[in-house]
Amino acid sequence: MSSPFSINGGACVAMVGKDCVAIACDLRLGLQALTVSNNFPKIFQYGDHVFLGLTGLATDVTTVSDLFRYKVNMYRLREERHIAPRTFANLVSSSLYERRFGPWFVSPVVAGLEPKTGKPFICGFDSIGCIDFAKDFIVSGTATDQLFGMCESLWEPNLGPDELFETISQALLNAVDRDALSGWGAHVYIIEKDKVTKRLLKGRQD
Amino acid sequence: MPSRCVRVAAACWSSNNADERPTCWKLKHNTRKLAIVPTNLLHNNNNRRTQLPTQPQPKCMEVLLGITGKDFTLIAASKAAMRGPTILKATDDKTRQLNDHTLLAFSGEPGDTVQFAEYIQANSQLYSMRNETELSPSALAHFVRGELASSLRSRNPYSVNLLLGGVDPITNKPSLYWLDYLASLAKVPYAAHGYAQYYCLSLLDKHHHPNITLDEGMKLLRLCSDELKRRLPIDFKGLVVKAVTKDGIETKPFDEDEKVVKDT
Amino acid sequence: MPGFDFSNYNRNAALHARGMPLPKATSTGTTIVGCIFDGGVVIAADTRATSGPIVADKNCEKLHYISPNIWCAGAGTAADTEFTTAIVSSQLELHALSTGRKPRVVTCMTLLKQHLFRYQGYVGAYLVVAGVDPTGTHLFTVHAHGSTDKLPYVTMGSGSLAAMSVFETQWKPQLTRDEAVKLCADAIEAGIWNDLGSGSNVDVAVITAEKTTLMRNYLRPNERTQKLGRYVFEKGTTAVLNEKIIRKEDLSKFVTVHDLPTETGDDKMEIDV
Repeated sequence: MSSPFSINGGACVAMVGKDCVAIACDLRLGLQALTVSNNFPKIFQYGDHVFLGLTGLATDVTTVSDLFRYKVNMYRLREERHIAPRTFANLVSSSLYERRFGPWFVSPVVAGLEPKTGKPFICGFDSIGCIDFAKDFIVSGTATDQLFGMCESLWEPNLGPDELFETISQALLNAVDRDALSGWGAHVYIIEKDKVTKRLLKGRQD
Repeated sequence: MPSRCVRVAAACWSSNNADERPTCWKLKHNTRKLAIVPTNLLHNNNNRRTQLPTQPQPKCMEVLLGITGKDFTLIAASKAAMRGPTILKATDDKTRQLNDHTLLAFSGEPGDTVQFAEYIQANSQLYSMRNETELSPSALAHFVRGELASSLRSRNPYSVNLLLGGVDPITNKPSLYWLDYLASLAKVPYAAHGYAQYYCLSLLDKHHHPNITLDEGMKLLRLCSDELKRRLPIDFKGLVVKAVTKDGIETKPFDEDEKVVKDT
Repeated sequence: MPGFDFSNYNRNAALHARGMPLPKATSTGTTIVGCIFDGGVVIAADTRATSGPIVADKNCEKLHYISPNIWCAGAGTAADTEFTTAIVSSQLELHALSTGRKPRVVTCMTLLKQHLFRYQGYVGAYLVVAGVDPTGTHLFTVHAHGSTDKLPYVTMGSGSLAAMSVFETQWKPQLTRDEAVKLCADAIEAGIWNDLGSGSNVDVAVITAEKTTLMRNYLRPNERTQKLGRYVFEKGTTAVLNEKIIRKEDLSKFVTVHDLPTETGDDKMEIDV
């Protein structure tokens, strides 16, 4: 049996733009080399401007996404307000570290806009909750190595929403084409102050 | 000071196309007739193994197939009950009916399978009795996943692969859910478990489309069954085929003695 | 004391027994150092975080706040350094509040070693603890198994050998503040250049009885050069199958905010203002 992170496959990436952020994921669900579904999104929404991408073991992707839906709903009821991305990131971090010695096999990515300032916020985590605050981009999943290469070369500061969409889409699409365990279509979210655009990308089906 | 009231619809606008349902449920009565039922879930008598399951070989030889079409879901399961190299029974039924329009098919560790399926069956029936309404296939699939996921983290997890097929009683839309023993859940148009995946998914990739009729669905199953008989190294004793439609669940006759060309 | 949740442990141990490798945590394959000078103490760290051979973060923060006058540099498993320092920081804050005294460096060091010893090295935090308190200037190292050292100059992490070589050749007693900062920065740079696990920039913190100065990115010897080409794709490069735009206005369908009339009757709910 191989690593729990590479049984089901999948990739996720988030990028910062000018007054906007983008988060994208592939759609594959596999069992080692066998593809079971080509419609398994890995991005979940927890507020107007708070998004979470989860890659890793599919069962934990579902469990953890449900767990945070529960936790964020409880937060909303207690505080009577939506959760901010930075607060959510700390919630993710401490929830993962709580299971330091029996972790969820997921590599989360958070993307959003800070509610008051509208400033872009992205961060990534390892499976035990160490936060990686980045000013540029965050990658995760079985295509991590490829995504690092794509993002490092394609990304530049102050990309507008349309430019950012093309950049993140090309970064993801070309990365997953070099990873046998990811791909089969993609979802891309472009998050701006007053609107969110969700696009389904055409990707290779091999 | 005026108090503020903020209402937020939980559905929001993020929903992915799947599982969108109308919010109005048809509740027949307000009064509850059955008050004697226990208030919590029915429990398992968990006096089973204390060791973790090792993956037995025959498990992969068990065949589970599922196909959705225009207004139906077809579920097929092999009829052989195997133990090691021996076939103990040739008329096994690896399915359980959860309610009028939802069917669960299972394969995996002998013992776990029936125990788990009947536990789910009992609880879905309990729900129907208490609430005088039936859970939708989507709701049941997520319930099953939850139970399997928490079992996975227990001392003696169930080693069961499942297909859950059904037709939504309100929208009349057919659906099929694929679950493996790790509690990975996927909503799919067609699915298989075990070695059948390797033989049949490619066939279904080529021939399936969402609007097929029940007859076309049966023909597709025949195609899969023929391929399995030709390629699988052991005899799985044919398939039991059940069709879920808005009118309920029906066992379909599936020709047994039809000759398959074993020579490729 | 908050505890860990071990409920996934059995499942993961079973998966591991079936030949599944353990997950890779982000580790700070690191160079961290500390050095006492006349009137205070300096700690410094590089800013590279790695996951296996991959550089996970090029500019992370390895100098952790404990209290205004105590800071910590962390090496080892990144999440462990982050959370053990945060836990001890919170305990020390409460302790300071209840005793009305400034927290002491030995107290911090003792809390850290007791926590780490309890977890028998499985919490993989390797720390340099430094600070100034009413009893004087202190510098400690704490290992993941719970052992501690008290020395005038210390190094830790995978780049500790490179950094120590700088200290062993250049350190002298009674350093000035500027000399100590230079010495620590040089030691970190030795790690940055000669240790693959360390890289990017140098963070320095100087703690004196009066104040703490955190110099984030004190040295930036690895600035990225300007890209020669621009790789922005033309609009419409990517094939889109489906698009859904949700605007703020559309949200009013889902969210309603309205004022409720204030009731004047006696049955009004009492509200604390």
